[in-house]
Amino acid sequence: MIRSSYGRALVFAAALTAPGGALASEPPDPSAPPPRRLTLGLEAVASAATADPGYFDDTSYGRSALRLLRLRLDASLRLGARAALLAEGRADNGDGVTLSALYLRLRPLPDRPFDIQAGRIPPVFGAFARRGYGADNPLVGQPLVYQYLTSLRADSLPASADDLLLMRGRGWRTHYPIGSGTWTRGLPVIAGDRWDTGVEVRIGAEPVSLSASVSQGTLSDPRVRDDNGGKQVSGRLELRPAVGIVLGASASRGEYVTSEAAGALPGALGRDAYTQKGLGADAEYSRGYWVLRAEGVLSQWAVPRVQAPLVTDSVRAWGGFLEARYKIRPGLFAAARVDHLGFSEVQGTLFGGRPMPWDAPVWRAEAGAGYSLRRNLLLKAVLQHNWRLGVRSSSRSEGIAGAQALLWF
Amino acid sequence: MIRVPAALGVPLLLCATGTLGVGQEPRSSPAALGTIRGRVEFLRDQPSPERRPAIADLGMPARRDRPDQRVAVVYLESAPRGAFEERPGPTVVLDQRNENFVPHVLAITTGTSVEFRNSDRTYHNVFSLSKANSFDLGRYPPGRSKSVRFDHAGIVRVFCEIHSHMNAFILVFAHRHFALTDAEGDYRIDGVPPGTYTVSVWHPFLAAKSASVRIPEHGGEASLDFALS
Repeated sequence: MIRSSYGRALVFAAALTAPGGALASEPPDPSAPPPRRLTLGLEAVASAATADPGYFDDTSYGRSALRLLRLRLDASLRLGARAALLAEGRADNGDGVTLSALYLRLRPLPDRPFDIQAGRIPPVFGAFARRGYGADNPLVGQPLVYQYLTSLRADSLPASADDLLLMRGRGWRTHYPIGSGTWTRGLPVIAGDRWDTGVEVRIGAEPVSLSASVSQGTLSDPRVRDDNGGKQVSGRLELRPAVGIVLGASASRGEYVTSEAAGALPGALGRDAYTQKGLGADAEYSRGYWVLRAEGVLSQWAVPRVQAPLVTDSVRAWGGFLEARYKIRPGLFAAARVDHLGFSEVQGTLFGGRPMPWDAPVWRAEAGAGYSLRRNLLLKAVLQHNWRLGVRSSSRSEGIAGAQALLWF
Repeated sequence: MIRVPAALGVPLLLCATGTLGVGQEPRSSPAALGTIRGRVEFLRDQPSPERRPAIADLGMPARRDRPDQRVAVVYLESAPRGAFEERPGPTVVLDQRNENFVPHVLAITTGTSVEFRNSDRTYHNVFSLSKANSFDLGRYPPGRSKSVRFDHAGIVRVFCEIHSHMNAFILVFAHRHFALTDAEGDYRIDGVPPGTYTVSVWHPFLAAKSASVRIPEHGGEASLDFALS
């Protein structure tokens, strides 16, 4: 994570280059080559919600997706016709500035649909994580598969199936015997709010494009600095067979266990590659006043087999959501999402020795409405209900009411 | 990235109700109609609206056209009484080409229908949240058109929900005494009865200006130039 000094540098650089940018008032010379041009986008998001004692909406950043005050500044500095430098700085809940994106975008062959991006880059996997702006999410909450914290960690590993089962439904604060001894939050299936660092290419445009990336982290744990010597390879095929229809298929594979945790494993186990593999499919259909989206993800993590009762296979999670938005009248829309996250079973001595999902399956339903007071001022109100299955009653089910105000320029 | 226009206070002036201009009362005498003509000089260019930075895209965004920002609307602040009883004009077209509204500025009379044509290769979703004439046409594909009838005078700011940089202005007048500037900045308002009028010029981003002009009793031509900065 790059902290506030970089963020300040970004703002300073923006100020320095503004005279040549979109804010400039110099008359353009039509015969001149494309100038350096800076474009800025500012977004302020304020979200509030009722209590979430079950931590259903905690994110990998340690903040609730429903209780967030975020200021974000996006910048695109065009460097001639074939290159641009893009950056995003965020300040969440007054915790200082984080540089959440910083990369170089290149189009080496003019007029050819071939692009290279290098730096802290947008993910190629899936679709939701690239719905970057607040207005792109018709609700306030995020899909489970992109936000919900499972009980797995990259720096703390279970030794047995019982260790996993003990942490079921405790993704907001989890701990295992191998590796880091701290209690902290687990990994989401995909960290939708954080971007990885690496290089990606995209070939093609409509109706078919193929994207691939090599990066430092994994879907669950995107990173600025590598923490295990492994790389993630991911790819996406996108089809647009007709106007208003987008179909995507994604895959990824990367090592997720930190070097420190792997080093704490006994003997040869520590030299194995513990990977997260992901497969995804997504679809979008829009027409008239409707936008429908669906996405499904299957993720698999390899876990070490250290002591009995052994985890006999990789653990898996699958998630998916169906989302709809309908415009009722100018400025007013209604939206809903149904969401599920399920887990494969492991068998230990707990729960009477019965096979049990290694983490507690979760369902979520969220519905709400949005109203644009102005084109760039959007208010949303939602009701969200979460169900966590097979856990003690206090964190089993909860309803949350939330609201969000969003202003952008 | 879209800038907030500086001149959104103007629409009140467009909602003229038939009151008279300053000084002498205009008459509606067909035999003695005059013309107001002149030139609008743009002392300062405005950069065209930019996309919000496409930070989450996996490559370069598609190329697009840029709107012609050197267009202003010149109009009478108040017009002869008869001017308000005239029939609306025919349907006019506001096209969408290469992620750009063409023309960028449109001036019409109340009751006129505007056909929003999609001549692009992608979806568009034209909408306006302007109080006088709000509408949302939903997403419709290339080759299709949807129309809106504008019954209330005022400035209607038009956007595309999908492409944040697309915007256009429709100025809806209660009378027909207005004109758009041409490529050289020239304008011409014909059929103006004798009298003294306040003439205003409006531009999406430059400060509005007004001046007084008199059409003589025998008609003829009055000249009035503006410089906008």
